[in-house]
Amino acid sequence: MTVPVLSVRELSIDYRTRRGPVHAVRNVTFDLDQGETLAIIGESGSGKTTLAVGLIRLSPRSARVTSGEIRYDDGKRTFDVLSLEAERLRRFRWADCAMVFQAALSAFNPVITIWEQFLDTGRAHGMSDKHKVHDRTRELLDLVHLDPTRVLRAYPHELSGGMRQRVLIAMALLLDPRIVILDEPTTALDILTQRAIIDLLRDLRAKLGFATIFISHDLSIAAELADRMLTMYAGRVVERASVDDLFYRPRHPYSVGLMRAVPRVSGALGSVVSIPGSPPDLIRLPRGCSYYPRCPFHVDQCLEEDPPLLAVDTPDHEAACIRWQAVAAALGSDAEAPVAEKLA
Amino acid sequence: MSGPLIELDRVSRTYTTPAGTITAVDDVSLSLGESETICLVGESGCGKTTTGRMLAGLLRPSRGRLLFEGADVWEKKGNDLARFRRAVQLVHQDPYASLNPTRTVAQTLAPPLAKHKKAHGRAARAAMISLLERVGLTPPADFLLKYPHQLSGGQRQRVSIARALTVDPRVIVADEAVSMVDVSIRISLLDLLHNLATEFHVTTVLITHDLAVARYFARKGRIAVMYLGRVVELAETEPLVSDPAHPYSAALIAAIPEADPTITRTKKRVSLRGAEVPSLLNLPPGCAFHPRCPLAEPGLCDVVIPTLDDLPGGRSVACHVALRERQPAAELLGVAH
Amino acid sequence: MTAAVTAIDRRDVTRLPGPLASVVEFLRMMSRKPVGLIGLIGVVFFLFLAYVAPFLVPLQDQVDVTSIYAKPSFLHPLGTDFQGRDVVNQIVYGGGDIITTAILAALFSTLIAITFGSIAATLGGRIDSLILAITDVALTIPQLILLIVIAAIFRPTSFFALAVILALLQWPALLRQIRAQVLSLKERDFVEAARSLDLGLLHIIFREMLPNMRSYIVIHFIIAMTLAIYAQAAIMFLGLVPLSGRNWAIMLYFAYNQGALFFKDSFFYLMGPIMAIALFQLSLVWLASGLEDVFNPRLRS
Repeated sequence: MTVPVLSVRELSIDYRTRRGPVHAVRNVTFDLDQGETLAIIGESGSGKTTLAVGLIRLSPRSARVTSGEIRYDDGKRTFDVLSLEAERLRRFRWADCAMVFQAALSAFNPVITIWEQFLDTGRAHGMSDKHKVHDRTRELLDLVHLDPTRVLRAYPHELSGGMRQRVLIAMALLLDPRIVILDEPTTALDILTQRAIIDLLRDLRAKLGFATIFISHDLSIAAELADRMLTMYAGRVVERASVDDLFYRPRHPYSVGLMRAVPRVSGALGSVVSIPGSPPDLIRLPRGCSYYPRCPFHVDQCLEEDPPLLAVDTPDHEAACIRWQAVAAALGSDAEAPVAEKLA
Repeated sequence: MSGPLIELDRVSRTYTTPAGTITAVDDVSLSLGESETICLVGESGCGKTTTGRMLAGLLRPSRGRLLFEGADVWEKKGNDLARFRRAVQLVHQDPYASLNPTRTVAQTLAPPLAKHKKAHGRAARAAMISLLERVGLTPPADFLLKYPHQLSGGQRQRVSIARALTVDPRVIVADEAVSMVDVSIRISLLDLLHNLATEFHVTTVLITHDLAVARYFARKGRIAVMYLGRVVELAETEPLVSDPAHPYSAALIAAIPEADPTITRTKKRVSLRGAEVPSLLNLPPGCAFHPRCPLAEPGLCDVVIPTLDDLPGGRSVACHVALRERQPAAELLGVAH
Repeated sequence: MTAAVTAIDRRDVTRLPGPLASVVEFLRMMSRKPVGLIGLIGVVFFLFLAYVAPFLVPLQDQVDVTSIYAKPSFLHPLGTDFQGRDVVNQIVYGGGDIITTAILAALFSTLIAITFGSIAATLGGRIDSLILAITDVALTIPQLILLIVIAAIFRPTSFFALAVILALLQWPALLRQIRAQVLSLKERDFVEAARSLDLGLLHIIFREMLPNMRSYIVIHFIIAMTLAIYAQAAIMFLGLVPLSGRNWAIMLYFAYNQGALFFKDSFFYLMGPIMAIALFQLSLVWLASGLEDVFNPRLRS
């Protein structure tokens, strides 16, 4: 039984605002195994982006970790990322754990070339030899199917969205990290470009063996690449399962709602329907389960306290819902069929 | 009424830039009837937004005509033109830019009601309440005094739609109207737009890059697939989605990542011969798709621009090979469902 | 980024009657930035001093040669001037003209800037180029010199005329700002929607675009007032304007010319108007600073 490469326990992050602290991330717990791909799915206000930047401690000044720990295992030792000091933290970031941001132009410095960005990144994280950086960069650009000569000379605005995303992926791999976190890697990309990036990520993962965390609101990227998934709602993890379990046998009403709210191109449409209502105010969280107002399965008991993650009827699968059995019953079969069809 | 409600007749739109001429839309014809739902689908740069804006009368075609109720819109003047402007409304993509941030919902809905329905005071308020109910913002009275920054993205889009409805439009063009809205509420917005067509006889055109959204929205209507400024396929939704006639549509549908692990990991792909999309400054000769097309035939596809013609089964496609074989490209490529 | 709209806040200020709600809202916003609130208090104080106080305090016009440049005392808290008249009294009566002229000048310049800035931006083309060219010329001429020359040539005989002259010097800066704002707002989705809804050009300019420029306009107005006051102080101090009266600027002129610099006891005669002007200006500037927040609708509840 190997040690997970990342172990997050009861992590909570607040933002300071004028109206009061925003509880953006609340008691998040999960493990990431070596070489595993974890997808964290959530919508606006779910806390997923706060969590992602919090994992490498890139949160803005107004954010504060109020509890929890992030344990990272580098193959030799385990240590708490939250207690790392500046120098060690800088080495952790990028050499151990790198992040690929959304490929908007704003992820780049617009006035320097791509090569200079690579050089800056390398130097910032301890690679002082310019030639080594250059060789490694060329190697990586080949790996992401870009022409190094053309790309290194270019400025960010001269590249297409897809090319920029590949560049960001290459940059993340500069120091051969054990974990790569990707924030909305395919959002705002065209279909064919998305496909290319997804295939690329699959390819790279097989070749280089890093563990991956995807943060997205897009279920399809989880369906493509994830081994395991978390769904987040109002700052909490509400379900934790393997990707098949979450898509075909979800046990939390929000996961069910989400699966049902996404139309598909292939197969039958099924009964697709939106989740009514809106997410709660993260400053004044209501008592009890935060999904209560939108939940078709709620009972009075749900208002008593925020439900903990409970083990459900399939292995390695938890849902933060006291009514998970009702959810299971409503879904009926355990077949590998989409939720929208089962509930049609 | 006889004849289509609104029509684009061989419409093109070009821009001259210092770098050269960009043909954003090339020879597009589209004919829409009353109460119809149709989606314009394509990737970025395909011209779908430009086409949508020409349809809404916000952009003048460089060539070709826009016809509304049979008459050329750009020849209209005065009252006639004003009537057209009101009859076709655009709903924008960005909910954060489509409403005036210094105006409450009531202040946004009041001016068109005052000007066109001559409704003031209590009559106007009643009209606003009924509009807000129609777009699903309940309880309506609570929303009247809200500023846009107090509303969520989905709510703002509903207000935008309500604003468009103040003038009783006949056509609504929704330009990526759900792309910037949370995934879990897209369906309800699409249902609202769909309802406008079926219940209120408003022809609704949705522009989107998301084929799953297009399939859901236009499930009883049609989809037009665009590539580099041309319509490459126009067909009813289900046949198009299960058995696309154009190789580009087939490639798109095969490439879409789906929210279903079994389907998406086992989908059969269409390999294209190139990943780069040609620049609009330098369109390939003949069929714009031929450099990437797995079915391309040298001597034919790189010489003659294919026109949109009918295939058996009530669908149109602009592909020499598909038309000659009288078979959808999906079948020729082995990816049909 | 999510705005959760749950039940409407029971203490929602918009449930109060219109005008009262706006005032409460306004004061609440201002109190967030202490500087703004102090500025507001200062401005209100000086406005009161200039416009209301003269009705409460009788004018002391009597020349009293026995108490020229008298020391500050209970009777004359800031001493007397070169003709034995009370300084405080003159300060009370000295604000009205200056402030009124400043308000008028700011008003005229703002109106010119809004009108021509909007026209330039909405009509574009040659008209835009023409207006811009004139603006650039006006911007590059050194303001004070031009003011002095104009004042010397036209010799304004009323404060109203002076206000007009001052306005003519200040509109260029705001015009450029307004034009830039309108150019960018023109392309916004909600303006396009207003066009599709056939709401008319006037509605678009005044109801859609101008409310988005409120902050620029009001803050410019205030700054224009400060500039008008400085300009008045300058030309009256230089004796270029044949205006009678006892406003602060003229007090400076007399103080300087009547040798108040050389007497220890006439210190307040000199400093009085200087401080009045300076403190009023400071209040205006602080008020402008505090108003920046008020005009951002996002910062409201």
